[in-house]
Amino acid sequence: MSDQPDSTVNVPYVPKTLGVKVGILLAVAAMVGASLVGYVLYARGVFDDFQRLTLIADNADGVSPGMDLTFAGFPIGRVRRLSLSDDGKARIHVRVPVTDARWLRTTTIFTLEVPLVGGAKLRAHTNPAHLQDPMLPDRAERPVLRGDVNTEIPQMVARLREVLDNVDQMTESGSSLQESLNNVRTVTSRMAGKQGMLGAALGSEENAKKLLQAIDRANTLMASLNGVSVRLDGVLAKTDQRLYGAGGIADETQKAIVQANAILGGVSASLKKVDAILADAQAVASNAKVATTDLAALRAEVEASVRKVGALIDEINRKWPFERDTKIKLP
Amino acid sequence: MAFGGEIILRPRSWRRLLQFGGYATVAALSPSSYGLAARALAVRQIYLTAWKVLPAYLAFSALLSMVIIEIVHSRARAYGLDAYALELVLRVLILEVIPLLTALFLALRSGAAIGAEIALMRVSGALEDHEEAGASPLHAELVPRIAAAALSVFSLTTLSIALALYLTYALFYGTSVSGFVAFTRVVGNVFDLQIFVGFLLKCALFGFAVAIIPLATGLEAERGAMHTVPNAVLAGLMKLFLVIGLIEILSLVVKYV
Repeated sequence: MSDQPDSTVNVPYVPKTLGVKVGILLAVAAMVGASLVGYVLYARGVFDDFQRLTLIADNADGVSPGMDLTFAGFPIGRVRRLSLSDDGKARIHVRVPVTDARWLRTTTIFTLEVPLVGGAKLRAHTNPAHLQDPMLPDRAERPVLRGDVNTEIPQMVARLREVLDNVDQMTESGSSLQESLNNVRTVTSRMAGKQGMLGAALGSEENAKKLLQAIDRANTLMASLNGVSVRLDGVLAKTDQRLYGAGGIADETQKAIVQANAILGGVSASLKKVDAILADAQAVASNAKVATTDLAALRAEVEASVRKVGALIDEINRKWPFERDTKIKLP
Repeated sequence: MAFGGEIILRPRSWRRLLQFGGYATVAALSPSSYGLAARALAVRQIYLTAWKVLPAYLAFSALLSMVIIEIVHSRARAYGLDAYALELVLRVLILEVIPLLTALFLALRSGAAIGAEIALMRVSGALEDHEEAGASPLHAELVPRIAAAALSVFSLTTLSIALALYLTYALFYGTSVSGFVAFTRVVGNVFDLQIFVGFLLKCALFGFAVAIIPLATGLEAERGAMHTVPNAVLAGLMKLFLVIGLIEILSLVVKYV
């Protein structure tokens, strides 16, 4: 065994193809290695031109070098380093390749969002309408708006606790909500009882019963009142018949008045004749002979008229029963 | 019979290792070390260590890469952390797993063989014979092996990283080139200056450890004492694993703690 090392040391025979193979291997490895280094440098942006931008935040929590600055979801720049300024503000130094710097305008707004899970996000927002604004100059300094879920959570929890306290007060025994619910329960249980809604509205079943009885009585009363009014109707109809029907009081009175009119017309004519006769009598004063013959006829006519008037008065008195004095005063 | 563990714990052993490492590095970096015989030895060593295993190793690392990429990708998607999957894959696979795996593979593949070879030469007195003949055993026997091991580590690491990088892109974006810009951005984010320099340094240290430690520990075998050979080889491998582990831990600590 001891001679084996000697052979390896003294006979370093290497076939030519072996040397070529090893040469190829080393050359390829060297090329690949150089390419990898070149690729990494390219990825690092060593061969790009950059524009510098400094973002100023109150707090750079969650920001780290190498982080992307995104625009519309596309990374356009990278955080190079962080520093603290003299006034206590965090300065985030960003490098943006010149080719991507056109998205950054003087009106661009920068935000730093820190979500609950995952790294912080640095974003640039440029209103598409403002893409004609002047470009952001090199080494510009811009404030960054910060939206941090982690700092909002304690506020949210505090508010939630207030809400829960309120709910607690509302639901604890003796609270107004609890009492209201108890009342609702009483009402609904009454509604479910024998007298239903009435029981709920009147407070107890007895009251409901009384109300029902009162309604029954009112119904009976209404029925009897109905009978009374029917009878009253009949009475009124009869009265009507007596007063205004054929042969009724009114009818007879009308007839009597017509007759009275006729009689009075007769009296008037008779009196005109008397007037004429008296005028004749005056003329006849000298002619006594003619006068005495006409006077007998005149007396007969006057007496007939007086009889007619007396009959008329009697007739009226008979039909109009209120005047009992049957005396007639003659002129 | 001393066990490898005992050799590891000897401070003298580490001191000698560092000393030898210093000499060997200087010698390996000086062009005069590479005579015709030394070059031939180095080429043979590289052929055995890197070329012969290259297809199998690339296949193995591709398989492992695909499994890791797929697991990270699908899990990240399931947890809604899709945006971080690529960065995670690059950090885990390219920065850590592939260099570590390559270093361990070469430690097993060549470290044990070189350690045993040197220990046997030591036992047989071949190295001392060289010295007596006026030739420096460091230059004639050791430097070519060291250079070959370091170059092998470099070749395999570079090629397997390139393959893993391509597989990552292919599994994330398919064969289209549309994802190149986004992919490049993430690569740029992962490899910032410190990480990149640290990564190159770590790979160099892995190569250095794989090349020197088995060889230096092989020298601890005693002349004529055959029974010391297994101990020396075992101690070399254990030291190598320990150093590779320490380098990895140190790089992780520097990066993330």
